[in-house]
Amino acid sequence: MTDYFIPRSAELSLCFSEPLFLQDVNDRWSLQHPQLYCPGQKNQYFNKKAFASCVMHSCYSSLILFFIPWAAMRDTVRDDGKDIANYQSFALLTQTCLLIVVFTQLCLDTYYWSAVNHFFVWGSIAAYFAITFTMYSNGMFYIFTSTFPFVGTARNSLNQPNVWLTIFLSSLLCILPVVAFRFILIQLRPTINDKVRYKMRKEVLPAPAPRRLLRRRSTRSGYAFSHSQGYGELITSQNFLMKRPLKRASLFPQTDSPIFQNQPQHYLDHQQIKKLTDSMNGGLSLLLKRRVAILVT
Amino acid sequence: MASSYNAKEEDGHHSGASSGAGAAKNRKPDNTAFKQQRLPAWQPILTAGSVLPAFFVIGLIFIPIGIGLYVTSNNIREFEIDYTGESSNSPCYSCAKNVTWNSTEPCFCTVNFTLERPFESNVFMYYGLSNFYQNHRRYVKSRDDRQLNGDPSSLRNPSKECEPYRTSGDLPIAPCGAIANSLFNDSLVLYYIDSNNSQSEVPLVKKGIAWWTDKHVKFKNPGGNSNLTAAFQDLGHSTAKPVNWRKAVYELDPSDPENNGFINEDFIVWMRTAALPTFRKLYRIIQKKPGATPTLPSGNYVLHITYNYPVLSFDGRKRMILSTISWMGGKNPFLGIAYITVGSICFFLGVVLLIIHHKYDNRNTSADIPS
Repeated sequence: MTDYFIPRSAELSLCFSEPLFLQDVNDRWSLQHPQLYCPGQKNQYFNKKAFASCVMHSCYSSLILFFIPWAAMRDTVRDDGKDIANYQSFALLTQTCLLIVVFTQLCLDTYYWSAVNHFFVWGSIAAYFAITFTMYSNGMFYIFTSTFPFVGTARNSLNQPNVWLTIFLSSLLCILPVVAFRFILIQLRPTINDKVRYKMRKEVLPAPAPRRLLRRRSTRSGYAFSHSQGYGELITSQNFLMKRPLKRASLFPQTDSPIFQNQPQHYLDHQQIKKLTDSMNGGLSLLLKRRVAILVT
Repeated sequence: MASSYNAKEEDGHHSGASSGAGAAKNRKPDNTAFKQQRLPAWQPILTAGSVLPAFFVIGLIFIPIGIGLYVTSNNIREFEIDYTGESSNSPCYSCAKNVTWNSTEPCFCTVNFTLERPFESNVFMYYGLSNFYQNHRRYVKSRDDRQLNGDPSSLRNPSKECEPYRTSGDLPIAPCGAIANSLFNDSLVLYYIDSNNSQSEVPLVKKGIAWWTDKHVKFKNPGGNSNLTAAFQDLGHSTAKPVNWRKAVYELDPSDPENNGFINEDFIVWMRTAALPTFRKLYRIIQKKPGATPTLPSGNYVLHITYNYPVLSFDGRKRMILSTISWMGGKNPFLGIAYITVGSICFFLGVVLLIIHHKYDNRNTSADIPS
């Protein structure tokens, strides 16, 4: 009735804030793998097929969100024998099921959980319950009697175990097919997005390990390092360069992707190189000196 | 694409450009983690290591919960008897045929039944109605919550939502609206027939059947609970009873001022509209007896009905239900069965996904990203 705007406002606050801070692949990886932009150009995520699958998913969710509470509330009562299958409790139950399903679906779709995302997601759920209990409180009923007739509904139905079991069941029934379907798709037909994110996840972990060794000022030369096993990735990737954002374009142009070939190359004179190498860590500067020496000569 | 690259925006020439045109503002966002979207974040992906155990755990949790719910529901005792009287061989047939809203004389009928098993602990007596749409939108809105909360101005001038049950003649109706007008007014009294064929009345408690918040917050009598006749019938602002009622609202239970007027618990229970067309509402409570005596021993019972409520005109049905309850409420095996089913499906799906993962994962790890 008049209070269906609560779930809408909670959802809207979430929906408008989420996209501002969402990213599945960061800028460095996006530049390394420009094929990531192909699905967008080919309209792979926004076409009639995607719309049809969205409609089917919505229909399924709507059926679950009505019929599970209906079947659970039919001919049942509270644990003290009093009424629970009344209009207001049923509305609250369905509304809460819907909200929990929406939040869980949003959590599934959020790939980038920064502090801001956490705040908005958990904050929205908390806001929903806070607003619900406030709207169904005695105070609001006394002040605005006709507008808030649901007084006592939240207190009397949300303390029932079978209400929470119903909410849990309907949200799980809505989410499980989505998770199973996505998992099967990742296994059978991984998209470019899935592959890059999987690779990103794997490569984040080994990177810190070689740095520890380099800081110990090894007696081996940088040239020898670059030829020993395990540091090929570190040398050829721009990991250590991008950690400290330089005000200049990259020293080592990427040859494996077409975009970089279009950018003009910057060559530094000796003073600039000296300044650059002095600002880096001792171990790394050795490597860099060797490499730069090869370039400028 | 290369030709559109603007040489002025290169980083290498940054110092030259800014010193030359000092007034030109640098539009580049700050190099902070927030503005460059480099905030530390957890970036989960759906891997076999997280999804498969989750499916198995959910399956293993749901199945015992489902079994618990199903067993609890099965242990609840419930007895239901329909007393509409639509067929000629039912005891209340003549009452069903003769009773209308305008009848002045009450009609009585009796129904005999037998309880196979005794009922332990508190037993709750409900009346159930079928094909009665208390969830019809116009019906649900047809009430005045201000009037029911004891507001004197709403008592004299009820809300427009109550139309056409707002005034009767020239007087405002208290309580107004279609919900109040259709108040269920059958009386049910239960007798136990013991081995000597003597009838002993089963004590029925009529208080404690409505929600506490309804009785103490939502519904209030105008001007307090004492002297209700004066409150409703004062000269200058008297009110009329609803059209279908036989008694006025201050005569609902004159013997108990805490249960009279708007705070009458039967009235409050009726005003809490049901969500579905087949519903049950709490009528009376049979409290448990001290010791090991069952509350309702097995045997023969007779139900004395004062048949006031006509339902045959809209093909409705009336019934009386006796039920015990548990921590999950009344008898409803659906949740138990649903949990067992979902748990099994989840477990089975976990096995299927494990097979798929085992077969296709080798392909994934060596998959190269095509350029």
